[in-house]
Amino acid sequence: MEFLSPATWEEALAAKSARPDAVPIMGGTDVMVELNFDRRRPAALLDLTRVPELREWAPDGDRLRLGAGVPYAVIVDRLADRAPALALASRAVASPQIRNRGSVGGNLGGASPAGDAHPPLLATDAVVELASVRGVRRVPAREFYLGPRRTARSDDELIAAVLLPAPAGPQQFAKIGTRNAMVIAVASFALALDAGRRSAGTGIGSAGPTPLRAPEAEEFLAAEFDWAGGRPPSPAVAQEFGALVAAAARPIDDVRGSAAYRRHALSVLARRTLGWAAADYRREMAACG
Amino acid sequence: MTSTAAASVVGQPVSRVDGPLKVAGGATYAAEFDPGPGLCHGAIVTSTVASGRIASIDTAAAEAAPGVVAVLTHRNAPVLPYHEHKGLTDPPEGERIHLLQDDRVRHQGQPVALAVAETLEEAVYAASLVRVSYRPESAVTAFSDAVAHAVPPGPRYRDRGLEGDGGRGDADAALGAAPVRIEAEYVMPRLNHNPIEPHGTVARWSEGELTLWDKTQWVDNVRAEMAAVFGLPPDRVRVVSPFVGGAFGSGLRPWANVTLAAMASRHVDRPVKVVLTRRQMFGITGYRPRSTHRVALGADRDGQLLAIRHEGVSETSTYETYAEEQLGSSEYLYACRDVATRYRVAPRNVQTPNDMRGPGKVTGVHALECAMDELAAALDMDPVELRLRNDTIVDQSTGVPFSSRSLRECYQAAGERFGWSRRNPRPGAMRDERGRLVGYGCASATWPAMRQAAEARARLLPDGSAVVSSSSSDMGPGTYTSMTQVAAETLGLPLERVRFELGDTRMPTAPVHGGSWTMASLGSAVQAACAEARRRALAEIGRADADLAAVLRQIGEPVEATVRTEPGDELRRYSAHSFGAVFAEVAVDPDLCTVRVPRLVGAYGVGRVVNPKTARSQITGGMVMGMGMALTERTEVDPRDARPVNSSLADYLVPVNADVGELDAVFVDEEDPHVNPLGVKGLGEIGTVGVAAAICNAVYHATGRRVRELPVTVERVLGAAVR
Repeated sequence: MEFLSPATWEEALAAKSARPDAVPIMGGTDVMVELNFDRRRPAALLDLTRVPELREWAPDGDRLRLGAGVPYAVIVDRLADRAPALALASRAVASPQIRNRGSVGGNLGGASPAGDAHPPLLATDAVVELASVRGVRRVPAREFYLGPRRTARSDDELIAAVLLPAPAGPQQFAKIGTRNAMVIAVASFALALDAGRRSAGTGIGSAGPTPLRAPEAEEFLAAEFDWAGGRPPSPAVAQEFGALVAAAARPIDDVRGSAAYRRHALSVLARRTLGWAAADYRREMAACG
Repeated sequence: MTSTAAASVVGQPVSRVDGPLKVAGGATYAAEFDPGPGLCHGAIVTSTVASGRIASIDTAAAEAAPGVVAVLTHRNAPVLPYHEHKGLTDPPEGERIHLLQDDRVRHQGQPVALAVAETLEEAVYAASLVRVSYRPESAVTAFSDAVAHAVPPGPRYRDRGLEGDGGRGDADAALGAAPVRIEAEYVMPRLNHNPIEPHGTVARWSEGELTLWDKTQWVDNVRAEMAAVFGLPPDRVRVVSPFVGGAFGSGLRPWANVTLAAMASRHVDRPVKVVLTRRQMFGITGYRPRSTHRVALGADRDGQLLAIRHEGVSETSTYETYAEEQLGSSEYLYACRDVATRYRVAPRNVQTPNDMRGPGKVTGVHALECAMDELAAALDMDPVELRLRNDTIVDQSTGVPFSSRSLRECYQAAGERFGWSRRNPRPGAMRDERGRLVGYGCASATWPAMRQAAEARARLLPDGSAVVSSSSSDMGPGTYTSMTQVAAETLGLPLERVRFELGDTRMPTAPVHGGSWTMASLGSAVQAACAEARRRALAEIGRADADLAAVLRQIGEPVEATVRTEPGDELRRYSAHSFGAVFAEVAVDPDLCTVRVPRLVGAYGVGRVVNPKTARSQITGGMVMGMGMALTERTEVDPRDARPVNSSLADYLVPVNADVGELDAVFVDEEDPHVNPLGVKGLGEIGTVGVAAAICNAVYHATGRRVRELPVTVERVLGAAVR
């Protein structure tokens, strides 16, 4: 196995272009597990830990541009107000040690449907920035996941950053695991409300071949949510929202949980996150006077 | 460490004497030993069928790979004598697999080749290049198929006192006549050993002598087995194992890494290290067997037990019969005239199970104590009260009195600390501040107090210090510390002037470090050896009351005594067991059905407690294991091909820190003058016993739902509500 270790972003892009089969590695929290389990044996590893830009974040117009290698721990500690759902999801990743190393770029590169970062990216309509020697392109997260571990990224491209829209309303995230930490999600769900557009975004994790949205649930909530007052959703609305989210999932039975439980759990998580988001919404309205 | 008054050392919460060494990384574990120049690394290739013959095995690519020294298979491995050897921890029925001696495959994960190379990476790579094809043969892969052909444990188990059938009176008739009856089936999955240190061995041959640095709970048995396998006199084999990174029973038998390291080392004439991978821990070492139990209880309306019928069946391999005493506790835990037990083993094409913390009892008591809770519900009686009404001072299975028994005191002490009186008896009636359903549950715990012959040497030095040694092990309970305490107290020397050594076959012979009997067995020998050495030293100057350190300085040369102690007939005159009561609080999310355990509280009567600090750690560690058994741990075995599916710590879920709430363990005052000279009954295993039952019973109390199959997953709590 070849080990490529570029010092700059340009070198990294050149290396990826020359070796499209090279697997990028930063925190190693996904890639090393796969190597250790002998699930993959890439011809080359592309070490990106020496590329400083990947660990940077900065405003980009109205959005926050988050370098693909910013560790989850930094998102939790520093970016909770700029990316609330993603920060909540980052807190649910594994353990403190892994949160110090793992990053959103790794989640996107591996594209496991169970990755904790995906539902917030879908719900908030985040954008994935891909780069290669050919140039830079920006792909909405909602168009990024194509199939099981398949994404819109081309072989010669690296994930440079994600662009996170400024929060325009409450964001929530919830995850169920078989234990309290160090666990792959049985199911996860993110909800983002946009008060300005009066729209809702959703993201479903670990309940389908890819991370999923629940478009019908989003439309339903956009129509039913009390955007003027943020009244707690009626039980019937919450129930229907949960049912629409569950219906959007395409889960399977595996060692972590059954498909039936995953659907059930998603309906519960959807109802709960909606309740929390509505409460946040009322608080924000009160705070704005 | 401050200087401790010698006479008060036993019973004090002394911190681990080896703690600083371990924390600083100075403790050397098996795979870390340096055997000298030329060390090679072995990587094991394992079978991918449950039963059959190796049709072809192609090692050409592996042999040509960089750094490869040798690739051993059944075609080129040395033919080994494999003389008969049955240690106490070996199944008496059947025969171990003779590694790389023939083309037969008996289970998934059986070693079929070993790649030996200059580095571990080269060995692992070479192992990946070995191509094996099989002629599969019919195999029993599903547990349900194995159960259909279950058999009694066999005559050699009968000779050890483990019969398939036991009891007294006429349980069927008594059940038929009982005014209140419950009957239920409980399923417990296979549980795998997951110590953080995987099993590993460094082997070195030198002038026909074999030295093994191994992870084991019993160096003397590793020596005996390797002597038998290689046809050597035992004194030509030395086994060294000063530190063990957790074992819980996995270190009771030598696994394939030992034999393969020794075989390869002789073959290549260099030292060889073989360490099992985590995945191989699931396919090569033993485990707590999957089992199904059916319990029927009959009682009168006041809660007096009238009948117990307890049937159990557990998996074993096809080449050895592993049986454990799962049902014994149902014969002695409570007073009951009519009892019937029936235990069977179900042979399956898997590797042989082995003892895992609290073997047998953890399984059987779980079923019995869940059933007791169901009976309490059927009687509309407090579950603690039901246990106390059936308390007994006589072991009714043998008719002899218990040497000591504090079950009642344990329920009182633990119940009070837990706050059992706050329990609303109605299921589903309690909630916490987050709206979660709260449940309280309890269960009894028991473990036999056993004792083995043991030998220890005390060597008193002119500088007033002492070195005490025996070939024992310290897999975590604190043998180093507790033996130092016993020695210091007996000698009348300060703790810091006494050093205890263990883990080498060159030392006096200790019994296997297991069964919760190390303190009773070896503690007695250490006490006797130290008393004898002290007596000899004082006799040299003819004064019995002098200060030992001053006497040793005066003598000016070492004084030594090696003493072997054996149990007497006390265990025929008394039934000796530790008892305990454990209480669990659970919080269940009413919608998601996730179960969390905010608190576990246990009280135990274990005789004398030599070190309350390490003793408490033993119990709370056992509780965490019980919690894993209750909520997360299970080895999923594919019923089609008997392959463990979740053989990694990412998929086999042990509790993590974030799962563990408050753990509280106390010991009730208990003096047992009968059991052994130290008056200790053992506490290494009892902490795991009953925990899963207490949690299941608490889940029932929280939700009104009985989960009779472990672990208590969300699906099972949700039950029929899943659509």
